[in-house]
Amino acid sequence: MSLVDLPRYEFARPATLDETCAMLAEREAKREKTVLLAGGTDFMVQVSQGKLASDPLPLVVDIGRLDELRGVRLDGSRLRIGAAVTYLELQRDPIVREYAPLVAQMTHDIGGPTIQARGTLGGNLATASPAGDGIAAIAAYDPIIEVQSVRGRRRIPMAELQTGYKATTRAGDELIVAIELPLPAHGAAWCWRKVGTRLAQAISKVALGAVAEVSGGKVGRIGLAIASVGPTTSLLPRTRALVTATPLANLTAATVDAVVAEDVSPIDDVRSTREYRVHTAKAVVRGFLRELGAPV
Amino acid sequence: MLAAERVNHRYEPVALVACADKAKLARAVAAVTLDIEPLPAVFDAEESLLGRTVIWGESNVQNRYLITKGAADADDGEAAFEAALRACDVVVRGEYSTHHQEQLYIETNGMVAWWDDDGVHATGSLQCPYYVHKAFKRCFHLEAEQIHITQAVTGGGFGGKEEYPSLIAMHAALLAKKSGRPVRMIYDRVEDFEATTKRHPSRCIVETGCDADGTLRALKMRVLMDAGAYVTLSPVVLSRGVLHAGGCYRWRDVRIEGVSVATNTPPNGAFRGFGAPQTTWAIERHLDAVARRLGIDAGELKRKNLLAEGDSTATSQVLHGSLGGAECVEKAFAASDYVAKRRRGPIVEGRKARGIGCSVFMHGGGFTGSGERMLKGKVAVDLLLGGRLEVRSASTDIGQGTETIFAQIAADAAGVSISAVSVAVPSTTRVPDSGPTVASRTVMVVGSIVERAAREIAERVEAVRRAGESFAAAGDRLLAQEGPQTALVQYEPPAWVNWDDKRYKGDAYPVYAWMVDVAEVEVDLDTFETRVLEFWSAADVGKAIHPLMCKGQLEGGSLQAIGWALSEEVVWKDGAIVNPRMTNYIIPTALDAPPFHTILVEAPYAHGPGGGAKGISELPMDGGASAVAAAVEHAIGVAIDHLPLTPERLFAAWARSNSEAAQ
Amino acid sequence: MKVALKVNGVQRHVDMAPLARLLDALRGPLGLTGTKEGCGEGECGSCAVFLDGVPVNACLVPIGQCDGCEVVTVEGLAAAGHLAPLQACMAEHGGAQCGICTPGMLIAAEALLRRNPDPTPVEVRTAIAGNLCRCTGYERIVQSVLHAAHELRSTEKGAAE
Repeated sequence: MSLVDLPRYEFARPATLDETCAMLAEREAKREKTVLLAGGTDFMVQVSQGKLASDPLPLVVDIGRLDELRGVRLDGSRLRIGAAVTYLELQRDPIVREYAPLVAQMTHDIGGPTIQARGTLGGNLATASPAGDGIAAIAAYDPIIEVQSVRGRRRIPMAELQTGYKATTRAGDELIVAIELPLPAHGAAWCWRKVGTRLAQAISKVALGAVAEVSGGKVGRIGLAIASVGPTTSLLPRTRALVTATPLANLTAATVDAVVAEDVSPIDDVRSTREYRVHTAKAVVRGFLRELGAPV
Repeated sequence: MLAAERVNHRYEPVALVACADKAKLARAVAAVTLDIEPLPAVFDAEESLLGRTVIWGESNVQNRYLITKGAADADDGEAAFEAALRACDVVVRGEYSTHHQEQLYIETNGMVAWWDDDGVHATGSLQCPYYVHKAFKRCFHLEAEQIHITQAVTGGGFGGKEEYPSLIAMHAALLAKKSGRPVRMIYDRVEDFEATTKRHPSRCIVETGCDADGTLRALKMRVLMDAGAYVTLSPVVLSRGVLHAGGCYRWRDVRIEGVSVATNTPPNGAFRGFGAPQTTWAIERHLDAVARRLGIDAGELKRKNLLAEGDSTATSQVLHGSLGGAECVEKAFAASDYVAKRRRGPIVEGRKARGIGCSVFMHGGGFTGSGERMLKGKVAVDLLLGGRLEVRSASTDIGQGTETIFAQIAADAAGVSISAVSVAVPSTTRVPDSGPTVASRTVMVVGSIVERAAREIAERVEAVRRAGESFAAAGDRLLAQEGPQTALVQYEPPAWVNWDDKRYKGDAYPVYAWMVDVAEVEVDLDTFETRVLEFWSAADVGKAIHPLMCKGQLEGGSLQAIGWALSEEVVWKDGAIVNPRMTNYIIPTALDAPPFHTILVEAPYAHGPGGGAKGISELPMDGGASAVAAAVEHAIGVAIDHLPLTPERLFAAWARSNSEAAQ
Repeated sequence: MKVALKVNGVQRHVDMAPLARLLDALRGPLGLTGTKEGCGEGECGSCAVFLDGVPVNACLVPIGQCDGCEVVTVEGLAAAGHLAPLQACMAEHGGAQCGICTPGMLIAAEALLRRNPDPTPVEVRTAIAGNLCRCTGYERIVQSVLHAAHELRSTEKGAAE
């Protein structure tokens, strides 16, 4: 515990989203740091390791109970998930299970039950770790990330969100409000495959979220995302292009492997190696394509 | 206790700071700066052995042992042994290595210390109160009666709280003395991970000679262990390592060399198995290789050469009695259907391959050779009012069930109900020195004197008991008439134990516990993740005084071995630990753990308590890793001889063997 | 910051820095040391407690978020001096060796059995996947929970009949 700074953190619990945005804007204008807190599963670890310490200390703003950040709603063919909905709530929500089974499946691989009870997609997006399993799962849907500030609501397509390692286009006074998933056609194929350091309580070495609409032996819509293979969540643009341009029967292991290798840029770290991650990324993508009927 | 002129590893204590205010303490620690001039360091055991940079003693070498048998005993032993080895039908050579392992008890190390008119007091999470007591005598030049060390309820030890608590206690006591206040020193997980002792890494080179039919003949082994920056327990770990290096097999000619060297890493220490897991890994993997060369099944090769009644071990110890190994092989193989599954070969379904493998091993109970005689371990049993007994020993319960089992032993021996027996909290003020809670000796050695002491009390009561009088009434009368009744008993090893410490020959241990593990694994052919699907074991425990706790020890130890094999790894960079947290030091969760099928076999040990119990808590640590490696080899045809078998290493080995095959 | 929360059914108050951990509130001013600290980073689960009915790691919850909440710790699983069936089964079936992980295991197992009174061994393992044990190998913990589930179902049946 970084006990040096513990007593000095200021803590605020605004009652509404508007109040929160006003607070953020005011502090941003004065260049004062603010940290948003929902479930706290990343936040409290960073506090205990002294990683949030700055001079002066940031204001901690508790947004976990804001009504505007909660709830799961089906709007036609779009699934709207509040930023502060917990993984456990997603796991149990009948709408998520029915319409976004990839997201429901991913929640089982987050930590363990106690982490799932507190962690949120909003938190995962805000932390913006390339190892974020939540991000990889939703990124397969090419979602819109809705953020709010005193300037109003802004909708950021996933592909425009991440700019670098733990860096996003979200402004310092913008708050993630909701994640909107444009749902694929009913019956679309999907896959969640996490390769972690162990079967639970694990950080991903490689985690694949995938969604595909197949008809007449060809892939129409495809969404692919892999965690932990670069400074940001990899959206595999070349792989997507190859798969939509080629009839499934004409795909080969070699051509798929080649584009995946170009789409990922992993490193050696304390958990795994670059070689292993490249190999495994290729293997899990081919695994999904095999499920679609490709001879890879 | 504190580094003076030289700092020999990254986490060596150099200064101590105490404060009543936690936040102020953190600021004080942050304000301390160290002026340290870097010196050339050595972080690798093989490099240390070369001696180009000397960081310890004259040559970095701390200890050497040599075990010889047969041809190697001759005057020109080394040459004679080589000749005998080369004369064998089939000679196989291999190199095997194992890595650091962190005990990762869920409760970290911690002690509280204070001074008063009675002297110095320390209470904490520990295994050996009298080790701390001894340390205090030296450190503070105090008399025994002025030192009061008490074990607090301890959340796991596994050896990691054998010696290190002495250092923490001394630190806390020093601060308590200087400040005049009680001091609490509890390591957080990062501190505990970085600074405290770990399992010694090892590198073994093995060469064996056998007949064409698989009869083992000659064994040559060089065992190298990395001691870390100081000696601590390394001579004993190396000793147990070499004493178990022959496995549980018959060898005619033996030449086992052990050497421990210093490196600039935190001193390594005790961890369940204490050297035996390292050499058991080597000998079991090696025999797997020999079996492959001979074209026979490894299980069959091991069964065929298993030590039996009248056979002699690598130290020329002739074994008599309590040899349940063969029964363990039979039962473990039957329960798992090992033979048929091995013969069938790997089962590949989709992108998963299943395989099965076994290991066969034994573990000596108690201290080596004359160790128990030198320890002079003692236990006291008091008769209390109402027919109650109190057992006073220094043996600590760290989860292995000491409290319960001692109560069982005493109740049984005295013929009273277990509810009439209490076991005293191990505090040096009240309990005699029974020796440390290590070396699989608590039930087998200390339990046997608990038994004798309880029996002695019962005999005294029986001597005065009138017809029809209860034990309690007779006991009360005895106490009223003759005052306090205490039976103080010292351990006497069996008279026939004969150990030559100079030649490292003879009866290394009075008895061995035996075990056979069979692991069934599934390897993912895409990701090289290995899942242990099922795990069977049969263990000869002598006599299961508490069958449930016996199984608990065997299963817990097996999972620690599986973790060591598949996922646990201490990652180093320039002598610093890169992953000193649970997030990145990977022990198995309940989903990673296999269902355990555990069979108890009883081949009673004549001198064991409760009808023949042997020491078993370390035993399971020895064989789990090689059973898993053998199963992985069966599943995907890749033999890994260096731990850990992480997916990354398995993938690299598979890729290498594939490209070699292609060429 | 003054925080009012219900702990094991009793209304309590603490005054601590808002980012102080719920774990420290419980073990400190609230005097409940049954909840343990094994890692301080939400990996080991030995600090698990119920927060508004849901199992969480108390080392990851700032006390500032607990105002008006309800917490149940291991001390609250049974009346003082009694053992709930889960606790009794853990002791009887070898589910506890050193005991440090046991409070967290009990919370996780209790959470499971409240929703799923007839779990399979895999469901038990999944429920306790966030609780690390170094002593038991988990086998006896799983057996203990299954025994307790069976006992609870028999009691229910008995009560119903």
